[in-house]
Amino acid sequence: MEITETKSGAVTTVALKGRVDSATAGTLRERLSKLVESVPARLVIDFRDVAYISSAGFRTLLIIAKQSEDAKGGLALCGFSSEVRRLFEIAAFTELFLILPSREEAIAALGSMK
Amino acid sequence: MKRPANLVYAPDDVPPPHVTAFNAIQHVGLIAINLVYPLLVFHLADAPLSLVSDLLAVGMIVLGAATLLQVLRLGPVGSGFLCPATFSAAYLSPSLLAAKAGGLSLVFGMTLLAGLLEAALARALPRLRSVFPAELSGVVIFMIGLSGGAAGLRSLLSADAVPMSPAEWGVAAFTLAAMVGLNVWGGGLLRMLCALIGLAAGYAAAGFAGLLGAGQLDGMDKAPWVAVPGLGHLSWSFELAMALPFAIACLAAAMKAVGTITVCQRMVDADWVRPDMRSATRGVLADGISTALAGLLNAVGTNTSTPSVGLASATGVASRRVGIAVGLMFIALGLLPKLTTLLALMPRSVMVAALLFAICFILINGLQVMTSRLLDSRRTLVIGLALIAGTSIEIFPVIAAHAGASWRPVIGSSLVFATLVGLALNLLFRIGVKQSAAIGVDPQRIDSTVIDDFLRGHGGRWGARPDVIARATFAANQLVEAAAEHGWKSGPLSLEASFDEFNLDLRLSYEGKALEFPDRRPSDEEIRDTDEGVRRLAGFMLRQNADRVRSEAQDGVATVHFHFDH
Repeated sequence: MEITETKSGAVTTVALKGRVDSATAGTLRERLSKLVESVPARLVIDFRDVAYISSAGFRTLLIIAKQSEDAKGGLALCGFSSEVRRLFEIAAFTELFLILPSREEAIAALGSMK
Repeated sequence: MKRPANLVYAPDDVPPPHVTAFNAIQHVGLIAINLVYPLLVFHLADAPLSLVSDLLAVGMIVLGAATLLQVLRLGPVGSGFLCPATFSAAYLSPSLLAAKAGGLSLVFGMTLLAGLLEAALARALPRLRSVFPAELSGVVIFMIGLSGGAAGLRSLLSADAVPMSPAEWGVAAFTLAAMVGLNVWGGGLLRMLCALIGLAAGYAAAGFAGLLGAGQLDGMDKAPWVAVPGLGHLSWSFELAMALPFAIACLAAAMKAVGTITVCQRMVDADWVRPDMRSATRGVLADGISTALAGLLNAVGTNTSTPSVGLASATGVASRRVGIAVGLMFIALGLLPKLTTLLALMPRSVMVAALLFAICFILINGLQVMTSRLLDSRRTLVIGLALIAGTSIEIFPVIAAHAGASWRPVIGSSLVFATLVGLALNLLFRIGVKQSAAIGVDPQRIDSTVIDDFLRGHGGRWGARPDVIARATFAANQLVEAAAEHGWKSGPLSLEASFDEFNLDLRLSYEGKALEFPDRRPSDEEIRDTDEGVRRLAGFMLRQNADRVRSEAQDGVATVHFHFDH
């Protein structure tokens, strides 16, 4: 899985490419944890190039969400394909995260946070 | 679920009272044409005017109750969509047969049984899709139109009946022309209410032609404005020879209810991909209970009204409130004896026109359903031979007349014969349809792209829908991942996929512990803090992802079956 970081003001966007599964969840967790810990980050995770997320990937997202909440940061997800949206729905995860259609909307939503 | 742009009022929305009332009137107007079906049955049974008036009143109350049952979602009953009930052509041909063979009590007894059978079938329907595919549903709908239309016209115009006078033919032609003219050239409301206006025009023309004289209208004058219909007529009888025609009608009604409810699902959800069998099953259960209620209270069989769903789609008003108003309106109409007596007096010439008008739409609907799928040689032969079988019975009544007593239930009705020929051929032609493939997954070299390529490649060649393949691909990958983490001990994992046009099945087996597929999602804390939570989340997602999951373990080998409806 490829992980690319870009900064836009106070918001860091992490674009993922590939699969979020048990083979890649550890690396992703490490990278995201560092970002959340280093600054009380406002973090956007862009799923535009993700085709698959498994239970291990969902666990990573829950851990990062908790860390972000503890650090009083902000977290938003964006760029879902219809398949990724379906997986979030069957895992009952859609209500747990701020999910926006595009990266721009996600950055704008976190950028306006107080 | 995403709200479509053209949907003005969704099922849960509350439209203003005037919108609710106006839409409900349009639905009642659309459904009115189907009153001709019970009238034909009562006419054939030679029922007296007061009895027909009472039976029609009870029938309207049944339609009201059936509509409420479909709309309100009481317990496991009702689809929750604006899907009003109507008297169904599916039961016309069997009801006419029963009326001729044993009078009205036999019609009502068999209708009661058919309703109970439909209710019992409701849960099994999703599994019957391969036995009763769309093209065969189309054949049945077409034959409902053909056999019902022929039987109805035969009862009105048979050699035993008084021949139609030139005046009657004139009124029939005028009534039909009014309905057709308004339907083709009328706009908006005139088109929506063409059948109701045509019926009114037919009554007026019959009055002018002297076919509805003062003597006949006496009964209406004597009837009170408001009264609860009498139930002194209640009677039921049963006959084994009628079981098959009514069972076929009940199956046809159930399949049509599934089709109508599927249209409702698509109408209210822009993200609709495939039929949701939960609401369809609830709807069929309501439909069966309604028909059983009809038989119990002495009315003819009911079904979901396809034109009503078309109206909701055209107007964008799909609110349940409208359905409740339709139900209450029918119940109120059933309490107006002057109106039901007037309907009971419907002249033969008006009935002929109404029947022809209603049958046209059923025949064309049947043709559309038949040709809605790509017709390969198997489907062509199922449709062609079933139609030839059915129409032969109508054209050559001598076939049924010379059949032995044991064959009469099969050959005595064109609808039954065509359906049975279609069912038998469909089952025969399913031989050799199933295709399958298998691969092994090495625990040391799990490569998800191999699983993806295997399922997408075979799925593409088999003609499986991409959304179903995506679900199967997720199932295989998530199971391999979860098994590798939690239960798979050693040796290769075998993945077998099999497909026919209605089913995609995966079978995965490996040495190790079977996974659990809980129906309750673990809590966020369990998922975040424990491996057990992640494993249970995997099982929960896999259960939600497939239409059916079955897991077993024997001699240290775990096997998981995933089924996907196609």
